[in-house]
Parts: sequence; structure tokens; C-alpha cells
Amino acid sequence: MADRLIIETIELRKTYPGVEALRGLNLQVPAGSICGFLGRNGAGKTTTMKILLGMAHPTSGEARVFGLTADSVEIRRRTGFVSEEKDLYGYMTVAEMIRFTAAFFPKWRADLEKRYLRNFDLPPQRKIKALSRGMRTKLALLLALCRGAELLIVDEPTSGLDPAMTEDALQAMVAHVADENMTVFFSSHQIAEVEQIADRVAIIDRGKLVVAGALDEVRENFRRIQLVFDNDAPPAQFQAPGIARMHRKGRVITLMSSGDADSIVNEARALNPMSLEILPVTLKEIFLETVGAED
Amino acid sequence: MLWYKSWLETRWRFLIGLGMLVCSAAALVLTYPQVVKLLPMVPTNLSGPIGERIREAAELSRSYRGYVWSHWFNQNLSQWSTLFAILLGTAALLVQSGGDLFTLSLPVSRARLLGVRAATGLAELFVIALIPSLLIPIVSPAIGERFGVGSAFLYGVCVFVATSVFFSIALLLSTVFSDAWRPLLITLAVAIGLGLIDQILHNPSFSLYGVMSGASYFRSGQVPWLGLLGSAAASMAFCYAAVVNIQRRDF
Repeated sequence: MADRLIIETIELRKTYPGVEALRGLNLQVPAGSICGFLGRNGAGKTTTMKILLGMAHPTSGEARVFGLTADSVEIRRRTGFVSEEKDLYGYMTVAEMIRFTAAFFPKWRADLEKRYLRNFDLPPQRKIKALSRGMRTKLALLLALCRGAELLIVDEPTSGLDPAMTEDALQAMVAHVADENMTVFFSSHQIAEVEQIADRVAIIDRGKLVVAGALDEVRENFRRIQLVFDNDAPPAQFQAPGIARMHRKGRVITLMSSGDADSIVNEARALNPMSLEILPVTLKEIFLETVGAED
Repeated sequence: MLWYKSWLETRWRFLIGLGMLVCSAAALVLTYPQVVKLLPMVPTNLSGPIGERIREAAELSRSYRGYVWSHWFNQNLSQWSTLFAILLGTAALLVQSGGDLFTLSLPVSRARLLGVRAATGLAELFVIALIPSLLIPIVSPAIGERFGVGSAFLYGVCVFVATSVFFSIALLLSTVFSDAWRPLLITLAVAIGLGLIDQILHNPSFSLYGVMSGASYFRSGQVPWLGLLGSAAASMAFCYAAVVNIQRRDF
């Protein structure tokens, strides 16, 4: 069960006129995981999600959800989606929007609908165009969570929300996922948000996956190795695999390892540094180092 | 529920169009006695193309059948139905109402999304073309005149089938462009262009506006079957192209 893939992309490419949005993306999201999809603006997060839901067509490669090719209507029957803009039909009331959406999903959860309407304090008779962004986000979450879906895809769940609203939205998502045993794939710029709720992380940069895995493993694999020399640091070319990035400044060389830190340390010791430290790194540091690696 | 959504998104265009044309049809009938009184005042010595048109219109207005056809089916209904066909066609734009990504996340194929939009718009266009036309036989006895229900129905169908071509062009363009203005303006330009060609060629062998007004039926009792079939085929071709285009498009 744990190894069953809900989302899988193989060498996925998407080219828009003048822009290569995805450049051979290989992504895997196992069943039951909460996967945070991190990347800078324009990295390809939204494009990936649109392809998974059949809203955009891949230029080449494969995208599969539940083992089905991504343009299948069946995927959307089993998936809840919240877009970044949380764009809903402004001319409908909250109650009309719920009734409209429920009609498409035979497994609609009326019990959850009542609970979230109450918990989110959503006014059923108010027009959606009159709702604040925070309320619209909550309604969009309600519409996605009550579908009885097996997979939830959320694009920037908390963009534009104040801290209190952010907390409400994240808590609702986490509580729901815990109760319903569903898979969640959400994109974010907010690393703290990913650390708070995700158990897996995938970092995308310029259309390619640069880091992926269980959050704990990623944190465990990445290490900062700092070498301090008596005089100016010597120019060094490391042969050991797993060096994500290297900086040399004055007497200090800083290495970011993405795995096999031992071989890197052995190679580093041969340079006779005055001191050598191996330090844990935060997800934020991993993100900043990996997405900046090709700058 | 897609039908309900389509209705909510198009209802004001439809209701405004229907209300306006119903009032216009009733007013046209009720003002006929005044028109008859004014006919003797129309000068008979007018020359030039405009004079010819005025004389022709006055001549047609001497009979109630001619008056209704020339003022209603050949002018008011044709022109306004064309406009509302274009407005209803552009209402099919998926992104116009907001919530496009939400709509696309529903377990519904794009062909069905567009099909429901097109069917709703065409049904509304049918009502816009038919109801005001059928009002004419109902109101006519109020001024002591008669107009056949069958004729009104047939002229209404001609208007519907011919204007559905403009509806379908607008529908197709609304799947090509992401804004509401370009489909609207381009289809209006096509409609005006075809009208100008009719004016320049003066009764060309095939004219969409000729089919729309049922001119052959009025003048010789011939139903314009070929024109109706051609218009319906063109309309279906544009609708099919719209479906193909929306399916290949990225959002």
C-alpha cells in the first residue's frame, strides 16, 4: 500500500511558446503521503498540477494519476482540487456553489459539508463575489474536501491569507487527511508550511526535480560541511558524488552534500583544513541551495 | 447542473433580448393603423437607391403581411437576433465567468462542457426568434388584422437557423481567444461584412440574410430549404471546430 504510486510523471515536458515550463520531470507521490511541492515562482509547479488534472497537455513524456493517463475524467472524479486563485463562480451563493459541486460527485460527504460550513463560519446565502479571499479559500477547501476524493491537489493553499486564516486552512487540511487517509499533493512557496504538514517533499527548479523524498530522509541526507583553513582556502575540485553546492570564501570552504557525506569528508580531510564541521541543515537551506544551484 | 450554470451565466442576455423583442413585436403590430394613415404622405417621385428603398417599403406596408415581413422579419428581428446570437455565442467563453479552473477540475469532458453551453445558447436563441414572432398572430386581432401562425413559425425558424451561424462563429472564437471582446467584435464584423456584401450585390443568389428573413417564402411561397440546410451545416461545422479546439487547448 505504502509503495503504490498515486502520482507518477516520467520525463514530463511542457513547452509554451518561448518557455520550457517542464524539462523532463520525474515525480513520484506514494499513496497516503502528504507531499509538499516546493519551487520558486515559474518553476513549473502549477503547470505540473494542470497536466495532472488534464487542464494542460504535456508536450512529451507521461503523467499518470491512479495509474490513469492524466486526461482521464476518472481522475477528476477521484480528486479534489484547489487552484491558487481560488476562483469560483462569483454569481453563485455559497449554498448554490456547494449544491452545484455536490451534483458531480456521487461520494459527496454531506456530513463533512455541514461540519465545514459550521467550522469555517461560511454564510450559505452570501454571494461568492462578496466573500473575502480567506473565506473563498475556505469554501474552495470545503468543495475539494467533501468530494469524497482519494487525492487532494492544492496549489498554494494559503497564498494571500493572514496568519490566522493560514493556520485554519492548514489545520482543516491536516485533520481531514488524518481522518480520511487520503493522499495530498500541494505546492507552496512557504517552507514552514511544508515542514508543518508534509511527510514528503519534492523541490522543482526550472522544470526539473532537484530534490525528492521523505522529509526526514531529505533532512538526514543533506549536510553542510564547513572547512576552515589557516590561510586562504585552496582551490578544490571534489570527486566524491553528492555535492549539491560548494562555496569558497577567504579561509572557508562550505559544501552542501546531498548524500554520502562520509566520502566527501574523507576527501575534504586530505586538504588539511584547520577545522572541519558537519552541520545539519534546515529545509529552507536545502531549498535555497538546490534551487539556486544553477544560477 | 451544468445546464443550471449555463442558464445563470446567460440568462440576462437572453431575458433582455427576449423582453426587448417581445415589446418591439407588440409595438410594431399596434402602430400599424398609424402607419397606414401616413402612407399617402410618402412622396411617389423619389429617385436614387434610397428613394427606391423608401418606395419599396411603403409599397410593402400597404398590406399587413408585407408590413410585418418587411419591418419585423426582414429588419427588426433579423438585426436584433443577429446581435443576441453573437452575445449568446460569446457567453460560451469558459474563462469569462471566472472559475475556469474549477470547472475544468470537475469530472466532465470539455466536449460536454461546451456542448451544454452551445445547447443552452441555441435554445435561448430559438426562444428569442420564435416567441416574439408568434406574438404577432396573437396581437394582430387587436387591430383587426390577421397573420398566420404557420407563417410566423416558419419565419421564426428561418431567423433561428440563419442566426445560429453567427452564434457558432462566436462560440468557436470564444474557444480561441481568452477575452470576451475579440470574439464579439470579430463576429460583429463578419455580420456587418455579410450585410454590406448583400447591399452591394443587391439580392445575391445566396444570402444568409435572405435565408434569415425568409424572403423567398414571402415573395414566392418557396421555403429556402437549401439556404436553411447550408446554414445548419455551417453552424454545425463551426460548433464541431469549437469542440475540437477546446479539447486541444491548454488552460
